[in-house]
Amino acid sequence: MTQQLELPMQEYLNKNIKEIIGEFPPVADVLNGYDIGCVTCGLGTCLFKDIVGIHDLDPGEEAALLAGIARVIYPDRAVAIPKIERKSKPKSGEVSYSPPMKKLVDEHRLIKRWVAVIPRFIEGLDVTTEAGRRLIRQGIDFIQSYADKFHHAKEEAILFKCFDEDLDIIRTMCADHENARGRVREMLAALARQDRETIAGNLEAYRELLTEHVKKEDEILYRWMDRNLSMKQVGELFAKFHEKDIEFGDTPQKYQEFITRLENKFNTEEKRK
Amino acid sequence: MNEFQGCPGSRTQDFRATATEEEATTGKVKSQLTQWPIQMHLISPTAPYYQGADVLLTADCVGYALGGFHPEYLKGKAIGIACPKLDEGQEEYVEKIKSWLDDARINTLTVLIMQVPCCRGLLALAQEAAQKAGRKVPIKAIVVGLQGEILAEEWV
Repeated sequence: MTQQLELPMQEYLNKNIKEIIGEFPPVADVLNGYDIGCVTCGLGTCLFKDIVGIHDLDPGEEAALLAGIARVIYPDRAVAIPKIERKSKPKSGEVSYSPPMKKLVDEHRLIKRWVAVIPRFIEGLDVTTEAGRRLIRQGIDFIQSYADKFHHAKEEAILFKCFDEDLDIIRTMCADHENARGRVREMLAALARQDRETIAGNLEAYRELLTEHVKKEDEILYRWMDRNLSMKQVGELFAKFHEKDIEFGDTPQKYQEFITRLENKFNTEEKRK
Repeated sequence: MNEFQGCPGSRTQDFRATATEEEATTGKVKSQLTQWPIQMHLISPTAPYYQGADVLLTADCVGYALGGFHPEYLKGKAIGIACPKLDEGQEEYVEKIKSWLDDARINTLTVLIMQVPCCRGLLALAQEAAQKAGRKVPIKAIVVGLQGEILAEEWV
């Protein structure tokens, strides 16, 4: 009896989550209850079973989540909840990032400071003067050089190589990087024709994209990766990130100063109002 | 159980009942030790097996307390063992650990200590050496309970 009922739920575990939400919209509320934000994800092709493993819920939460979703899918009958196998180690106490992951999280802090000033940066967009266009070019350069060539390149060329790059969560992150690159191309073209509205629209879209992207990496992806990396891999990543830092020299410091200048500029303007 | 109070590192405790509760794995467990010597006073920090290696710095008692020590922790790693409570000349340990980082260019260092307070001294030695070293590597501290349970794992 249990065998017959278990099979359909097992099939859903192998479906991608967006399909399940499309077929059963209340599933989104169940996921939101566990801070699993698949609803706002741009790609949403992760398999249901992978989402449960990646979010590292404790066994009690995992069982409650699966039961909640089963109630949405099968409202009229009880189904047996299949056990999901995990490759990663179970969580033990307080989460602390390994040194290479901490380096990436620290880089996110500067990106988040940039994202936080974007609304005021948009308000002050000036495409009519050389000084205004220079400031816009500096903002775009931060995205291209610090956020992309320095930070995202560490992920794509080094970190993601430690994992199966066909994993949906990694494909989603790379798709976000590509999306950001597309925004940069559009902004540069708009700057050349002094099109303020297109720059503002792309900056706002970039702000929304990066806010979600950084949150997903800090809270889910990096922690999941840390649980799966061997000690040897942690050491190798640390060394390779260090090589990348040396290659970039004092460039990160230059961008720290740029963001601090922007924050001071906007804070001063705010006080004047 | 506790026959006398005092230093938790030397307090008499009897685990006979719990230690035999679970059936032991049968068959020979293969040793994962790939070097000799292992005691910190005897090792050369630049020996070939330390070059670029993932290294375990282990308190003496850990090897006896941790049931899965060989397959789960020693496998694939080079090792040095010491007792931060009883060993003399521990300043030499600091120099050897520093040499692992700077000269042998080890990949990572894992410090395995017992839960007893005196064992923290081994972690302190590793941290002192890491501060003195010119090269940085990831260092993880693992605290082992008296009956072999993992009580804490943290990056330091």
